Amino acid sequence: MEVLGYFADALTPFNLALALAGVVLGTIIGALPGLSATMAVAVLVPFTFAMAPASGLIALGAIYTGAIYGGAFAAILVNTPGTPSSIATTFDGYPMAKRGDGGLAVTLATFASVFGGLVGAVSLILLAPPLANVALAFGPTEYFWLAVFGLTLISALSAGNTVKGLIGACLGLLLSAIGVAVVGGDVRYTLNSQMLLGGIDITSALIGLYCVPVIIDLVATKAPHLKAIEVEQGMRFFEALRLSMTRKLNLLRSSVIGTAVGILPGAGGSIAGLIAYSEARRTAKHPERFGTGEPDGVIATEAANNATVGGGFIPTLVLGIPGTPPDAIILGALLVQGIKIGPTLFNDQADIVYTFMFGLLIATILMLPVGLILGRYAYKFIVRVPKSLLVPTVAFLTILGSFAIHSNPSDMQMMFALGVLAWILERYGFAPSPIVLGLVLGQIAEQGFVQSYLIGNAQNAIVEMFFGRPLSMAIIFFALLTLFYPLITSLRRRRKALPTEATDIVVKAAKATRENYRDVPAIIFGVLFIGLGVLAYMETKDLSPMGAVFPQTLSAALVLFSVILIAFQIGRPVARKKPADVAEIKPSNPRRFAAIVIMALWVVLLPMIGFFVTSLAAFFCLTAVASFEWPKARTIITYALVATAIVGTFQVLMANVLLLRMPAGLLF
Amino acid sequence: MRRLILKGILSTAVIGSTLVAGLVFTGTAAAQSYPNKPISYILPFNPGGESDVSARFQQMVFKKIAGVDAVIQYMAGAGGAQAWSQLNSMHGDGYTIMGINLPHTVLQPMQKDVGYKTDDLTPVNYFHYTPDAIFVHKDSLFKTLKDLIDHAKKNPGMVTFSGSGSNSSNNLAQVRFDELAGIKTTYVPFSGTGPAVTAILGKQTVAGFNYAPSAITHGDKMRMLAVAAEKRMPAFPDVPTFRELGFDLVGGAYRGLSVPNTTPEDIRQKVSDIISKINAEPEFKKKMEDGGFVLTDITYKDMPKFMAEKKKEYGALAEKLGIKKQ
Repeated sequence: MEVLGYFADALTPFNLALALAGVVLGTIIGALPGLSATMAVAVLVPFTFAMAPASGLIALGAIYTGAIYGGAFAAILVNTPGTPSSIATTFDGYPMAKRGDGGLAVTLATFASVFGGLVGAVSLILLAPPLANVALAFGPTEYFWLAVFGLTLISALSAGNTVKGLIGACLGLLLSAIGVAVVGGDVRYTLNSQMLLGGIDITSALIGLYCVPVIIDLVATKAPHLKAIEVEQGMRFFEALRLSMTRKLNLLRSSVIGTAVGILPGAGGSIAGLIAYSEARRTAKHPERFGTGEPDGVIATEAANNATVGGGFIPTLVLGIPGTPPDAIILGALLVQGIKIGPTLFNDQADIVYTFMFGLLIATILMLPVGLILGRYAYKFIVRVPKSLLVPTVAFLTILGSFAIHSNPSDMQMMFALGVLAWILERYGFAPSPIVLGLVLGQIAEQGFVQSYLIGNAQNAIVEMFFGRPLSMAIIFFALLTLFYPLITSLRRRRKALPTEATDIVVKAAKATRENYRDVPAIIFGVLFIGLGVLAYMETKDLSPMGAVFPQTLSAALVLFSVILIAFQIGRPVARKKPADVAEIKPSNPRRFAAIVIMALWVVLLPMIGFFVTSLAAFFCLTAVASFEWPKARTIITYALVATAIVGTFQVLMANVLLLRMPAGLLF
Repeated sequence: MRRLILKGILSTAVIGSTLVAGLVFTGTAAAQSYPNKPISYILPFNPGGESDVSARFQQMVFKKIAGVDAVIQYMAGAGGAQAWSQLNSMHGDGYTIMGINLPHTVLQPMQKDVGYKTDDLTPVNYFHYTPDAIFVHKDSLFKTLKDLIDHAKKNPGMVTFSGSGSNSSNNLAQVRFDELAGIKTTYVPFSGTGPAVTAILGKQTVAGFNYAPSAITHGDKMRMLAVAAEKRMPAFPDVPTFRELGFDLVGGAYRGLSVPNTTPEDIRQKVSDIISKINAEPEFKKKMEDGGFVLTDITYKDMPKFMAEKKKEYGALAEKLGIKKQ
């Protein structure tokens, strides 16, 4: 009964208003790649000092859960995860949007996020103290195997192109080794440049790898970004509801995975999303549809990543171990308020904790109306806005987001460089997702491996350390299952044709025909990667054994996979002529080139000249590149005003609201 | 509909440009008496850590002492080097102050060209440190430091210490302790205080070298065997210092404030005075001491002597850790 009293406390108009404002702000911040929940929560901490602790916590929790959800918008509509948590949302969300199902995808993501968020929040309220022990049961070995489990998803993501996928993963893993190593303290692959000392920031890499190729290809043709909707379809609320209802099992499983992974400090929403995606794919009737716009993929990822919010608060509140970076800030805010964390918190200060937890629950429910309304506008904006404004706006967001993470111009330059690299590689069949997976999981894998090795070595029990722990064995089992499941099912299917599921969603097969001719560029890339692998191996000779083992293994693997790639390709017949370009409108290479040059100048000149002036100038240039006919004078004026408004608003948002340090250039 | 959207866009444009124009004209008022406007307090780390928490404590009383607010901003990257290497390019008017840490700012430039040298930085006040301490799980068989040392003597290398990062204060303390006690232990670096403490709580390692504030949140699950403070800490009256037990180990991570090197002498002194006054504020003092932080009051005047001592101390340890310029 007492607990229900706390529910009433959470329902005061002030708390409700805070939760609503928090969810709206969080969703918007999450939808903008690079602006993160961590940032918003950090800025708001001082304001919560003046509030009652529970109200302050509700505001912070609402922003946090809103931001994790908002990440789906950018993932679905522009193929860029707004936060790392929605990496796997891009796999199916963007293909859905491309074929005209963007509204449906956003609505599905909303349902899944609310459901996942509720499962996480309810677990927090009912089961927090016992579940917190999960956080302690996971040692370095388990984290290592968890990362390996995540990497097995590559076999699924690059079906028909496995060798290229594996090469991509090696590249991503090697990229994750750049900078000062946490374990061992070695300085690796910085090429004596200070810019690389801090390593590659995952969020800025994500923005570059996923979004820059989209921008470059957007300017190449006149065709609209997303398939235009002939009939007003809206957000397809009931269709999404029906789809979600028929996928209850997926929703529930993904939410449980999300809650469990959320409890693990240091794993976080990105891993939860990837594992839920991988499990959804493995258990699906049509795994081959994943990656081509399968609603189940969006549902799995979004349910899982919002479940991590409630899950992450479990170790934070019970053990004082923050589950995720925003949790760490909230923990700091609690300390400043003089609240003592730990199991006693649930008894001594039950009023604060329970009011907060119910507040989080309410905020999660509020995501439904907020998300549907905001999602509707975001979708309409992306579909309706003319390309000549969409391209510069999206480009501006990539610049802004990658800069905002650490107020650091070199993150922005790295974002762009990786983006161009990804665009080139993608043209020759090296997809960005394996690279991203390697980058995200690399550090977790390496730290887990070296720590396990050190502990095992001290106890003279290295083999037992890696293979003798029950939890590790369970994770290894699931990893193997994911890896070989396609093989098993294809054997089974050969024997018995499975009945196909009735669905009105048309999903194309991933690859129409397999290319059986010799792929000459692949051979050239293979040679380049062998060279890169050899160089990467040589660079490790001065490192400590702790710091060298991981990059050495990976560079050797890179060489091996590249040799396999070349061997395969040489064995194939030479194609007589290049396959004809199927696109109706010939893509314009000069426009692509111009876009690349403008963005290059943008990232180089911004720190020297200033954020506002450079961005505005680049905005205009990109508008010109993305315009396919001479605009009327009135349109030009409108565009100029819109550009000024967009750049100006974000300048104010960053400098005066989020209090980021802007570059001190010549102008401003 | 279309008209409406256009109208909306136009009005946003007008509001946006007005805001921007407004921005340009603020901040030009010249500083007459310091401080007369909010001070940017830059932290070279991500929020949530000890640097952040102690800065937030200061922020609570900053206005009361200095008359103006402190605005905390974050500039994380390369273990702090990102921010420190840019400090001297910032305005030296006293309205930009930056958190500075030891041993980081001595060890980093020793290891690699990180874009700054220890002497390029201008610390004006080191206001506290978090002492290194040895922790074990509360179920552990080791009740005292002596138990642990005896075990380590019989089983060289088998005692594992979790700690925050390589070449960190925790790592230095473990190396020193091995030397002072004549034992050999294994140091397992983790990516921060949080994961390092989790390793102790989850019994992944035998013990841990961590900072004393960890005992505030996790006191009921861990036992602190000894603390590297000069005297017993008010928050933990029952925990002996290493010195009491016969090991000359005092140290931890020191945190202070630095300013750009163009900052005039009198402003440097004023910043140092503000920080010292905050240190003397009873509310702040109580929160810090309850939080397991040890207040120091190394002012701008004491700085040359303090830095010389620390550079000597860390320099000698760096050699033992094998830190050399690559």
